[in-house]
Amino acid sequence: MFIQLVINGINYKVDIDPNMRLIDLLRDKLGLVGTKEGCGEGECGACTVIMDGESVNSCMVMAFQADGSNITTIEGLEENGELHPIQKAYMEEGSVQCGFCIPGMIMSTKALLDKHPNPNREEIREGISGNLCRCTGYNKAINAAERAIEILKEGAKNEA
Amino acid sequence: MKLNTVGKNIIRVDSYSKVTGKALYPQDIYLENMLYAKTLRSESPHAYIEVDTTEAEKVDGVVKIFTHKDVPYNHHGVVLHDHNVFCDKKVRSIGDPIAFIVGESEEACIRSMKAIKVNYAEIPGVFDPVEAMKEDSPKVHDDKSNIIYHYKLRKGNVEEAFKNCAVIVENTYSTHMQEHAFLQPEAGLSYVDEDGTIVVVVATQYPHYDREIIARALNLKDEQVRIINTNIGGAFGAREDITMQIHLALASKTLNRPVKVIYNREESFLAHSKRHPMIMKYKTGADKDGYLMAMEAEIIGDSGAYCSWAINVLRKAGVHSTGPYVIPNVKVDSYAVYTNNPFTGAMRGFGATQVPNAAEQQMDILAEKLGISPIEIRRRNIFRVGSKTATGQVLLEGVPLDRCLETIAEKYEEFLELKEFGNLKAEEESI
Repeated sequence: MFIQLVINGINYKVDIDPNMRLIDLLRDKLGLVGTKEGCGEGECGACTVIMDGESVNSCMVMAFQADGSNITTIEGLEENGELHPIQKAYMEEGSVQCGFCIPGMIMSTKALLDKHPNPNREEIREGISGNLCRCTGYNKAINAAERAIEILKEGAKNEA
Repeated sequence: MKLNTVGKNIIRVDSYSKVTGKALYPQDIYLENMLYAKTLRSESPHAYIEVDTTEAEKVDGVVKIFTHKDVPYNHHGVVLHDHNVFCDKKVRSIGDPIAFIVGESEEACIRSMKAIKVNYAEIPGVFDPVEAMKEDSPKVHDDKSNIIYHYKLRKGNVEEAFKNCAVIVENTYSTHMQEHAFLQPEAGLSYVDEDGTIVVVVATQYPHYDREIIARALNLKDEQVRIINTNIGGAFGAREDITMQIHLALASKTLNRPVKVIYNREESFLAHSKRHPMIMKYKTGADKDGYLMAMEAEIIGDSGAYCSWAINVLRKAGVHSTGPYVIPNVKVDSYAVYTNNPFTGAMRGFGATQVPNAAEQQMDILAEKLGISPIEIRRRNIFRVGSKTATGQVLLEGVPLDRCLETIAEKYEEFLELKEFGNLKAEEESI
């Protein structure tokens, strides 16, 4: 069956199997392997992508359910070769170790900041509560979100 | 001295690739003409097996099913070669690999795997390491004793010293098995290079061991095998033992096509080691002033069905069993024991993590009996520069334990005050 959707600003019309999950479509069919599979049951959040403005576990969404949707994956964050402020912040704050949780963690952070540009620490914790990390823990991820908020504000000031 | 790097924040070299999703782990690599594979694993903890793959081989899309018959040297292990590449006569724990099904798609492999007939003739197993140590317990490996290793530490004369102790505390402590749960489940692929080299692409803690172990199992020279270590999605010790490496190399060598395997989370749990559960029987004595006089400990570590690093882990547990305290008379016996439980191996701390549970609680109880504070008993016994450990090492430098203890002491006073004024609950909640 064919579905149509937008991924990272690009229109796709793809032939999918009815039993294909969104993560399989992204990784196996379209080569967007930045989205990771850690558990396959919606527990770890490594496969988080943004679908129509909401963060979703792409292992829990069937590919056909994504028909007509607008999806952002980790590959869609860089703009004109420039890292997204959240990506920069993760590097600066030393929030990255093994890296397997990072794409999902960054996508959850982005989904949060897109909706609430100025969350407090508690709200950031809530925002990434669906993402498991086994190396670094969560404080540095929260620090990175706070740093990203700063960078975003500086950017907005410069534009104004 | 001017330092260019020390004391400065440095951006990790690999962080750019990881925040952009460009970092590749084995599951992210796709090769042309690639085959997929699944591993059939034991559902019984202790049984003689008969495997029939006749029907499974007929499943559409299946290319080959590998079993022990295909492996020239069907043994591996980081210390002892007590793992089978594929179980032949007997399975020793749930999750032991029995067959490797290679096919054109993962779905075909799964269908075929379900069609393999395994007849399990169950035999009595042993799941308690204390039971396993007994002469008449079921044996995990042929007729070999289940006791893999016995570490003995002797210093002074504990029997005499206990006679002169003002207080003696005796307790048995136990810790549980623990899963590493690194975030990237095991995955790997293998192919044969233009020059005939068998390349295995994995996330591993020991590429050099992997190469040696693969070469030995397949009767190859080391230089005929190459390991490419990708990004590693966490390990914590659980990527020290081989999982799919030999299976993959065997498959790509035989079929001359790239082969890829990805474990799901459940299979990842089944495939790699765990932290050793330990049973720790302690007897510790001090004089009336709170100075430690003697300690006797028996530590039993459950190695599960395979040795992995048990010898090194139980040795380390024994060496660290006194805690960071000066004790003139010490007698320690630590044992690594086979059972039919999941095998245990390296995990953060490597045997030094379990023993403080016992050693430190003994200190607290001794302090309570002597009517001194837990800080004070430690102040009187900790390692300082010049102290001698139970194994005879003289600590000449880098022993900052006194500073650590004094920092804790300040907080401990605050904690006691809070407790006294009943504010502790509120404080805890705010944490």
